Amino acid sequence: MSIFKLNSDKQITLQAIGQKSREYKLRPKNNSIWQKFRIPMSRRHLLKWRTSYNKKSLIKERRLEDKRPLWWFISLISLAGSIPWLSNFALSAVAIFCIYASINLLWSLTLGTAGIFSLATMAVVGVSGYIAATANVYFGVPWPLIFVIGTIAGLIFGGFLALPSSRLDGLYYALLTLGLAEICRVFISQIHALTPTNGSINNVSSFIPEDWYLQRPGLLLGAASSFVLLLLALLIYRLVNGETLGRKLQVARDDEEFAEAIGINYHSARLKVFLISCAGLGFIGAFYAMYFRSISLGVFSLDQLMLLFAMIVIGGTGRAEGAVVGTAIVILIDRGLFELGPMRIVIIAIVMILVTTYASNGITGIREQFRNFRHRFQTQKRSLITTKGGEIMPEEAIDIHNKQIIYSRRFNSRLRNYLKTLINDEVIAEHKANPVGKHSYELTRLLNYFRKAEVPDKYAVAQIGPLKDSQYKIFAFTGDPEKPPRVVDERVYSSKNEAYHAIFLLRVNDLLES
Amino acid sequence: MGKIRINGYCDPLNVKADEEIDFMISAENTKAVSSKIVRIAHGDENPLGPGFIENEVDSQFPDSLKVNRQFVQKGAFAKVEDKQDVLSLQESFTIFTFVRPNHLNGKRQSILGKWNINSNQGYGLGINPDGHFEFWMGNGTSVDKITSEVQILEKTWYFLCVTYNHKNSKVDLIQKGKINRYNSHFGPVVPYDYDSHISETFRLNINECKFDSDFIWAGATDFNKARQFFVTNLYNGKIDQSGIYEKVLSESEINTLLEGQKIHNENLIACWETSLGYTDDGIDDIIKDSGPNSLDAIGFNRPIRGMTGWNWAGKNDCFRLSPEEYGGIVFHDDALIDCNWKSNFKWKIPKNLPSGVYALKLNCKDIEEYIPFFIAPKKPKSKIAVLLPTFTYLAYANEHQPFWSPNCQTVTGHSPTLMESDIEMLKLAEFGLSTYDHHSDGSGCCFSSWRRPIANMRPKHRLSAMGFPWGLGADLSLLWWLENEGYDFEVITDHDLHKEGLPLLESYKVIINGTHPEYYSERMLDATEDYLSNGGRVIYSGGNGYYWVTAIKEDEPHCIEVRKLDYGSRSWQAFPGEGYLISTGECSGLWRARGRAPQKIVGIGLTAIGMDECQPFERMPDSFHRRVSWIFEGIGEKELIGDFGLVLDGAAGVEIDRYDLSLGTPPHALLLASSHGHSDNYPLSSEDIFFSLPGIGGTEEDRVRADIVFFNTANNGACLSIGSIAWSSSLPINNGDNNVGKIMRNAIDAFSTEGELPGSKYVGDEKLWR
Repeated sequence: MSIFKLNSDKQITLQAIGQKSREYKLRPKNNSIWQKFRIPMSRRHLLKWRTSYNKKSLIKERRLEDKRPLWWFISLISLAGSIPWLSNFALSAVAIFCIYASINLLWSLTLGTAGIFSLATMAVVGVSGYIAATANVYFGVPWPLIFVIGTIAGLIFGGFLALPSSRLDGLYYALLTLGLAEICRVFISQIHALTPTNGSINNVSSFIPEDWYLQRPGLLLGAASSFVLLLLALLIYRLVNGETLGRKLQVARDDEEFAEAIGINYHSARLKVFLISCAGLGFIGAFYAMYFRSISLGVFSLDQLMLLFAMIVIGGTGRAEGAVVGTAIVILIDRGLFELGPMRIVIIAIVMILVTTYASNGITGIREQFRNFRHRFQTQKRSLITTKGGEIMPEEAIDIHNKQIIYSRRFNSRLRNYLKTLINDEVIAEHKANPVGKHSYELTRLLNYFRKAEVPDKYAVAQIGPLKDSQYKIFAFTGDPEKPPRVVDERVYSSKNEAYHAIFLLRVNDLLES
Repeated sequence: MGKIRINGYCDPLNVKADEEIDFMISAENTKAVSSKIVRIAHGDENPLGPGFIENEVDSQFPDSLKVNRQFVQKGAFAKVEDKQDVLSLQESFTIFTFVRPNHLNGKRQSILGKWNINSNQGYGLGINPDGHFEFWMGNGTSVDKITSEVQILEKTWYFLCVTYNHKNSKVDLIQKGKINRYNSHFGPVVPYDYDSHISETFRLNINECKFDSDFIWAGATDFNKARQFFVTNLYNGKIDQSGIYEKVLSESEINTLLEGQKIHNENLIACWETSLGYTDDGIDDIIKDSGPNSLDAIGFNRPIRGMTGWNWAGKNDCFRLSPEEYGGIVFHDDALIDCNWKSNFKWKIPKNLPSGVYALKLNCKDIEEYIPFFIAPKKPKSKIAVLLPTFTYLAYANEHQPFWSPNCQTVTGHSPTLMESDIEMLKLAEFGLSTYDHHSDGSGCCFSSWRRPIANMRPKHRLSAMGFPWGLGADLSLLWWLENEGYDFEVITDHDLHKEGLPLLESYKVIINGTHPEYYSERMLDATEDYLSNGGRVIYSGGNGYYWVTAIKEDEPHCIEVRKLDYGSRSWQAFPGEGYLISTGECSGLWRARGRAPQKIVGIGLTAIGMDECQPFERMPDSFHRRVSWIFEGIGEKELIGDFGLVLDGAAGVEIDRYDLSLGTPPHALLLASSHGHSDNYPLSSEDIFFSLPGIGGTEEDRVRADIVFFNTANNGACLSIGSIAWSSSLPINNGDNNVGKIMRNAIDAFSTEGELPGSKYVGDEKLWR
């Protein structure tokens, strides 16, 4: 008959686990050479692969660690491929989507990467658009050149916007930029020359020939160029966010003091990103004026800005796919449900509220959020089972590499159950009288268990002061040879035997609580 | 202002009058320390004994020393003196090596290369923080790299090769598993595919790379203002046969290298043959290059050799049998043989100082540091010599088992007692390991040296695991007692004995051992054995002596070497085939395993270890024989001998030795006294256990006891062996007036007298009527 047994009422049902692999993984052949392709002029690889040994089969498996480039590729190709087959209405929707997505990408750089809370995004687009249109209509600058004018205008306007950014922060700066946008709108509406057209500039010459305008070829060209615009915006986003500048800011966002310590100039990097973003928005302003062959005060309106805001919130900030997916959803509702009239704005609002309520970082953050949630759920459930029965569940065992640990836990849990029955006043009195040397069976068993414990949190006596009149404190080891032991409590003992006994009592306590 | 820290060491540890000794000191937060030479009379501060006693001596030593912070270069690595700069590669090349990474620590580890971390210049082949092989090169602003496909498996042999074509910057990184049935952690049944071959085109060209560092094995150069140049990115594992060619080798050439064959052609830059240089007496720290440029690599902090190589086939278990299979050189990131500090003061030992234990005492505010050293007589004059076991002091140097070993408290039978210095030393964690500790990859530490501060070789120190004095601290009790009793004696050390051998011992009538002479070289054993057989007299008053086969290299006494083998009380065990000492070429392990059990020399040998309580000795019937009864003069028939002491209140305990005819105790040896009543925390020593049995503790096993044994040797020689570490720590009780002292006095008085020993006439048959 065994003295160790598991209490039967603590048994728990064990379930079968194990899953077939659902992810497609490459299996590199033995002795094969892997020619790794790099993006020309860079040290980067096109795709990020990771090869590891399958923990169960030990077979070498190569999988795409970052699948986002793949999704981007599929989405962009299907969008581009679908353009010739779309209706005229859909074509204009695609173009609007591309333009807004581009604006949102650049705005994300300001908001996410640079961390500048500017709401003057549409103001930059508008002002640059107006200046570009003016240059074309009133000064006869040919259309290809007004891209340059728009970009420069955006850059200069951005420079002005940047000035107060180091002074003001957060909400105040946001309000300031909002006010600036309004001033721009009022300023333009007050220009006498534009009064007849109600503030808009029309007949801007464009990359779309005049006689194609609003015709199928014109719409096709418009959609295609907007698509190219989106690609350019994505490229800028990638270059800023993924290269030196973005990485510096990433470090700075995580720990500003550390960033400064290693010589990162946080403020200048922020400013650079903001200016790049504004210049890009200026380019889009010129594109905007040309695409519509006109520009009106509507570009400054608050509802435009709010729509953009909805896109970013729904998609999720701080990532390119958030800006693009958010734009796509809002445009789909806005254009696809055109028949519903004002109701679609309500729908957008509802979607926005749902996303902000349930998703911590927009729709594109849901996956990660779900994983975290599952992990938390799993940990809670497991810790509940472990405290109940002290046994390791099959689903927990898969995470424990050394199976000896699993057995040790079972063994020690049963051993502890037995040892607990040995603790009584007699044993404690015996130890107090003589902490070292020959002991009764019961005390020997307890001491052997205590002394064999793993080093982390194992107790030790520390001698304080010279031996002659020394006192003793209790320390505990960390288990890490680099980290010194910690003081357990402030109590001091006048003899080593007293300290030994205090340790014994601590250990008995730990055992009873386990 | 930060905490003041003073640490130091001296070189050498043992000196004689007119010889010179260097003191190396590092101090933080102070520029000067007061200094004086003291003679240490007693160490242990236990109130039951005389307490700590030091006496200032007339030494012509300055009152204070200027000090500064000195840094410690930890980690084993090797440096190539590349005077012609041929390793600053500018065109196509191939670098190959056989490696067995032992420990992936999440940090970058450099295997071979000329890489400066601080300036990002040069090239390097190593392991990246993710645990993949990687080759990288940099021009100061930008670094280009190629990474192998799969994560490295620890303790597995790989062939690693990188080729670089300077015309198109095409780089190939080839990794091939080289496991056989013996050489790696796992065997062939594990279905890993170890191989990887990546081919890429670098953006950087090697001719853009600049070089401002040495070519280093197992590390890379770094720089900071305080430390200047130092080596980091240290590697943990083995490096075998390696080489560099100034062209891209063809596939078939690489396959030739892969099979371990050499290609000596005009493109060869360096061919490091790690198995060259072995002799029957071991090997040094030089990694030989058989190529045209003789680019030998010089090892620092003693990379471990005599270790199995990638091609070890398991049949030959020693580098002497098959040196070509012993090219595996082991590097550890926490190895430390020599701090290489600048000497703060060189001191010539004055003639007037008698032999003894001395220390340089350094003070600054309330912080003190003792740097002990031993003065042996230039010309022996006394009849009595105490042989201090300095080999064993080194073996335990900076030991800190309680901090990592879960077994420690089980062995000692109580919780450790930490002193401030233990905690302080661990915080510093930079003065290296003892032969009881493990390196960061889990393997044991086989070297220990005096060229570094040693926290536990200090007069007042008590070993934390035991909570009582150990080594030097315990031996000082014997010295204090001898002095207190008025004996004229001199102090010699293991290092003196190893160097001078039998003649040193023969200058004395009596040799008294230290409390724990565990680590012994062959020469020391031979000298002791010859001394005894030529008529010398030895009082072996200690426990667990003559245990480990230990060695030092001929010209490097500061560094001992021991390989703990398959049996004996050991905190680690050498891996198969790695049990031979590179210092001498002999097999390490227990002397008992080599046919020289300590019983053959002094009649007793280790039987049990325990640190919970000590027992007294009781007289055995043989002690009443007139041959030896003079030793017990003044001791009652049933008197308990040594039921007191500074160590666990008894004379028999800690590590205890027994008489055993089967192990070679001389047949005429008399068993004079034994201890009784040891606890079960004294289990029978593992080398006596063939089948694992229950009931081997002190309360159940009769072999668990400490014995006092006497036997005569030729020419009036004799040996009195008292098998207990605690014995000498009982001497100071009651100011030296006690029955342990009485026995010592009886023995020493008779042993130091010329001519026959008192009882030597009683060799007749006993015709007894009762």
